[in-house]
Amino acid sequence: MREYLFRRLSLLIFMLLTLTAFTFSLNYLFPGDAITNLSGQVNSSYAQSQALADKYKLEENIIVQYGAFVGRIFNGDWGYSLSSGQPVFEHILLLFPATIELCVYALAVAIMFGIPAGVIAAVFHKRWPDNIINSLTLMGFSIPIFWLALLLIMVFCLGLGLFPMSGRIDLLYEIEPLSHFILVDIIAQSFPYGGLAFIDALKHLALPTIVLAMYPTTVLIRFTRDSMLNVLEQNYIKTARAKGLNRRQLILHHALRNALLPVIKQIGLQFSTLLTLAMITEVIFSWPGVGRWLIESIYQRDYPAIQGGLLAVSVFVIFANMFAEFSHTLLNPISRNQAHGKI
Amino acid sequence: MAKFKLFTEESNRSPLSRLWRKFKANHPALVGLWIFIALTLLALFAPLISPYSINQQHADALLLPPSWHDAGNVRYILGTDDLGRDILSRLMNGATFTFGLSIIAALITTALGVIIGSLAGMSKGIRSSFFNHLLDITLSIPSLLLAIIIIAILGPGLLNTVWAIILALLPQYVHSIRNLVVEELGKDYISAFRLDGASKWKILVRGVFPNIYEHIVVIFTMALSTAILDIAALGFLKLGAQPPTTEWGAILAENLGLIYLAPWTVGLPGVLLFIAVLSTNLVGDGLRQVLKDRKAD
Amino acid sequence: MHLLDIKNLTIELPTENGVIRAVDKVNLSLKEGEVHALVGESGSGKSLIAKAIVGVLNKRWRVTADRMHWQGVDLMRLAPEKRRKLVSQDIAMIYQEPSRSLDPTAKIFEQVSESIPEGSLSGNFLVRRQLRKKRVKALLHKVGIRDDKRVADSYPHELSEGICQKVMIAMAIARNPKLLIADEPTTALESTTRAQVFRLLKSLNQLKNMSVLMISHELEEITTWSHAMHVLYCGQMVEAGPTEKVFNAPLHPYTQALVKSLPDYAQGLAHKESFYALKGTIPPLQHLPIGCRLGPRCPQAQKQCVVTPKQKKSHGHTYACHFPLFKEDKKCNPS
Repeated sequence: MREYLFRRLSLLIFMLLTLTAFTFSLNYLFPGDAITNLSGQVNSSYAQSQALADKYKLEENIIVQYGAFVGRIFNGDWGYSLSSGQPVFEHILLLFPATIELCVYALAVAIMFGIPAGVIAAVFHKRWPDNIINSLTLMGFSIPIFWLALLLIMVFCLGLGLFPMSGRIDLLYEIEPLSHFILVDIIAQSFPYGGLAFIDALKHLALPTIVLAMYPTTVLIRFTRDSMLNVLEQNYIKTARAKGLNRRQLILHHALRNALLPVIKQIGLQFSTLLTLAMITEVIFSWPGVGRWLIESIYQRDYPAIQGGLLAVSVFVIFANMFAEFSHTLLNPISRNQAHGKI
Repeated sequence: MAKFKLFTEESNRSPLSRLWRKFKANHPALVGLWIFIALTLLALFAPLISPYSINQQHADALLLPPSWHDAGNVRYILGTDDLGRDILSRLMNGATFTFGLSIIAALITTALGVIIGSLAGMSKGIRSSFFNHLLDITLSIPSLLLAIIIIAILGPGLLNTVWAIILALLPQYVHSIRNLVVEELGKDYISAFRLDGASKWKILVRGVFPNIYEHIVVIFTMALSTAILDIAALGFLKLGAQPPTTEWGAILAENLGLIYLAPWTVGLPGVLLFIAVLSTNLVGDGLRQVLKDRKAD
Repeated sequence: MHLLDIKNLTIELPTENGVIRAVDKVNLSLKEGEVHALVGESGSGKSLIAKAIVGVLNKRWRVTADRMHWQGVDLMRLAPEKRRKLVSQDIAMIYQEPSRSLDPTAKIFEQVSESIPEGSLSGNFLVRRQLRKKRVKALLHKVGIRDDKRVADSYPHELSEGICQKVMIAMAIARNPKLLIADEPTTALESTTRAQVFRLLKSLNQLKNMSVLMISHELEEITTWSHAMHVLYCGQMVEAGPTEKVFNAPLHPYTQALVKSLPDYAQGLAHKESFYALKGTIPPLQHLPIGCRLGPRCPQAQKQCVVTPKQKKSHGHTYACHFPLFKEDKKCNPS
């Protein structure tokens, strides 16, 4: 176990280093002056650019520059945004929780609906629940996310007026941004109109969450169904049936445990796609998160902001992935005993 | 005298023809295949068969609803947009961009993925582990973000979009193909082949590929559906195809302002996208099911 | 009364090229406390019969029989749930690859305690838990596993095949079944473990009066301790009867070939003498011969053999052959 942890940790460090190297190289790949990209300051006077050159060690060779870059990352100096002039790091701290909130709720919805639906589809294989779930899943899988968002907006916002179209909460309510997770903030504050504010925040959350959850739900349904069907064909399930276990016991005790293991791993792999879709969702619903900020940065050619956003998002995905893999290994007795993983 | 069978003949068809027969029996998949072929033909011949040119404006027919609506006109079957351009023609030409370019992108991705994946699968030891973890990192960067960064480096435009999509899709498919190759290499007949003295190249070409090419086709369909969605998404975000290119996502983005006045301008491109991706997924699913059934036989 | 009474069991598989008859009119009857051996080459349909009795066959197979009675109750007419209940109480089955028949994510303790019938534990929750632990320990000891603590705490992939098979036997006898069906239990084991498993089954039969239906293709080991033997070729029952009679005086050419093919280690073989074997191989399921399925390979086959021979009985010894191998000093003469 210790060896496994050690390997994983060294892998993590390796991945983070490569990520930072890639981000560093972007300074030179993006059009424009390297120093502008690095620092975010444009049109600096001669004295200022000298100071900057010292700070970023532009005179020295590339390894030293890279070292300085990594040092700055740890210090929290991620440069200044070209469009707003504020430090990039502060932007990210403000906006990231909103994105994480959206992703977490969407993932929770996906797990709550996806896994039971997949199990039901596998248990009633080739009968009508399976066929219906399959068709719905296939359609949900094929629908472009921005079109789905627009359709829902057309029907629910413009047509029926049930849900609001953008933002996180109505401008009427002033919530102190403590943790930047809006539901947590509302609960933590015992605001006089707390109940109403909570419902309003939920209404704002509803449509983006549904839109974002559509793709992971369909993927999870398909994957759970495939995994469950695979498990149901195995010998030990037949043995358990012959032993006399009834269907419900069989599925809950034996089949589910074995079928869910690869699903946990798959959930980890979904984070990357989830963030991609979150970016599009944020743009459509004007959700104040990192994704929308990144896309606006690219319209405005704000390169330091893009680098900072890339770093933040990728680090998040790497950690989420690693966490899912850890859970998978912890729960899977077979891989727990593998002293040496496969290279 | 009518012919009748004297002996029951045994059907010993090749795996490929058995695959096709099973595929034909799966009706939704077959429907998907027809739609797929229809879209491909449309993508190839659109400029020849569309009724109007994409930039032809009709000042007398602005914002006409589709022809099944009361106010619509059968001359413009799907209606017109706010500049009077016929939506049907624009959408048909859009097929060339969205669908056609996606196919090209998916083909190149699959080809590159096969090359890199086989190399990664065949190598062993530190070099292989290094390679694989490098790929893992690219997997952690969301594909859209990667595409956006590549576009930021290369600049917007349709061709750059295709490159960006190829590079963004590549990690995932290299990963899948590498897993396929490694799994195949672990089988006994490859060991037998190696003991017979086959070189690495021969093992790959004669041993591994004939057994995985069907799975590669399934991977190709998955790459295609992702490519269509990504090209459209980039077009929608105005980072990919620029107007007046009639890519479906770009059309959607252009007509966003009309969503209240003329919802069909926003709905119809989406429907086409949906149908394109659905048909690809139907074909891919059908193939996957057929491969599984054939293995079970 | 017969425990298990099967008459004319037929198992067919409809395919796109016609219906394949994998098991053709097999009779089997078992009394309490008897050990029956079901012998045949791979592909003769032995496992299918076992699975059909227990009821875990794939839905694609079509099972028909004139009679399939368990202690007088007709298994074919029962609803699936009732059948499962009846079968799980009184019949237990152990399989060929024991480690694959155990759930890889559950510890052995859990799996064995699942087999203990709930009704036999009385008392409140804590008392039952203690009782369960004791029972599992007793069961594991009974099958010859000394180190029960370690085994109960491990996962199936950490144990050897021999121990897994013993665990399966422990799970099987937890319900005190009247019949134990053993489907080639020793094929995946080494010879020492094989002997242990056979000794265990034999002792279970003698001490607990448990009937055993032993399915195997190893003739030597079964003949020492089974009471009756059924020989199966390509889904047809070619000979059945008390073991000594069938083994020492086989009436069917196939049985004789089987018996002759066993190497006689006492006498040894002459220099460069070839082993005795029938020419040819088992026909594939799609090309089964009409009539007696041994026809193409049988050294005594004649024109009459295209008609399926009826099963005839002679002194408790059933055979299905037009030209049985009676010894010369008997009155009937082979034609």
